[in-house]
Amino acid sequence: MLAPKRVKFRKQMKGRMRGVATRGQTVAFGHFGLQALEAGWVTSRQIEAARVAMTRSMKRGGKLWIRLFPDKPITKKPAETRMGKGKGNPEGWVCPVKVGRMMFEIEGIEVAAAREALALASAKLPIHSRFVVREG
Amino acid sequence: MTQIVKLHAEKRTSGGTGAARGLRRGGQVPAVIYGRGREPTALALDGVELGRLLEKIHPENTIVELAVGGDVVRTLIREIQRHPVRPGIVHVDFYEIHAGEKIRVEVPIHCVGIPDGVRNQGGTLDQVIRDVPIEVLPADIPDKVELDVTALTIGKSLHVSDLSIPSARILLDGALTVCTVAAPRIEEVTAPVAAEGVPAEGEAAATTTAAATPEEPKEPELIRKRKPAEEEEEESK
Repeated sequence: MLAPKRVKFRKQMKGRMRGVATRGQTVAFGHFGLQALEAGWVTSRQIEAARVAMTRSMKRGGKLWIRLFPDKPITKKPAETRMGKGKGNPEGWVCPVKVGRMMFEIEGIEVAAAREALALASAKLPIHSRFVVREG
Repeated sequence: MTQIVKLHAEKRTSGGTGAARGLRRGGQVPAVIYGRGREPTALALDGVELGRLLEKIHPENTIVELAVGGDVVRTLIREIQRHPVRPGIVHVDFYEIHAGEKIRVEVPIHCVGIPDGVRNQGGTLDQVIRDVPIEVLPADIPDKVELDVTALTIGKSLHVSDLSIPSARILLDGALTVCTVAAPRIEEVTAPVAAEGVPAEGEAAATTTAAATPEEPKEPELIRKRKPAEEEEEESK
């Protein structure tokens, strides 16, 4: 699963995901893409699940780009713990996704196969997304 | 050679976000025209006419004859701003061009043929550079640059130096890769089950769990040194 190798701080604040993505919102590498229509956190497990679903669907053909990287640590307090006593321990990694972000890109397969692969990936994610084709 | 299309525009006097939003609500698209020796002028275009036009052309290297009032100005589309999610165009920049003056345009690269590595070896053609910037006179702007890729085998690439555009200067380093044929991906194989004998129930369960869930990443190394207070906090937990 994707995770940073080195970080400056172990824990981060939650943050907000207001507005639309101003970068990484166009199909830049492949020919087809999956674009976020909602804002949300995509975890490293969800990215991995989407990657596996797409790779299996595409079999041996095509090339895949993952344009998300989960670099935000998420903390969780242990079960049955009273409130207070500081922030919980890091439990995983997420990527904050804003509306319009291009999450995955595919090249080298037919449009129907790409649509199917990206639909499978979309089903693994916690946010609504849509299939897009490169312009021009 | 150079593709020329026509478009109508009106001058607009009102500027700013509110006025531009008002135009978009009315089905128009705000635009601007600028160039050497002329003041930037704010324009308004018909959204439907612009949308139809952009479906037919490659905007980076098509000359647009813009009819503003009674004048006709030869321009190039410098920028098209689109909303990342909503359909429609937010704003367009036009750049006035002059016949004897070389301009910088981006021309699309079309890969012609099916590479040998794709047809016979199951590879994937990966086009890294899709548009090439060139310096050229307006009359010599090519529609596209064709690149024959039929001879490419797996691992082989074509570079910017392989492109040939008559009467134009390519503004990219010749060593950059335009397209390459990538090897086919190897299908993922699930983790092998214990080889000898029938595994015990616990063992079988452990193997399937390991295969199903990928390795959980360990906590990463800190770039900075830990403060003594943080170490104490860790120990107390």
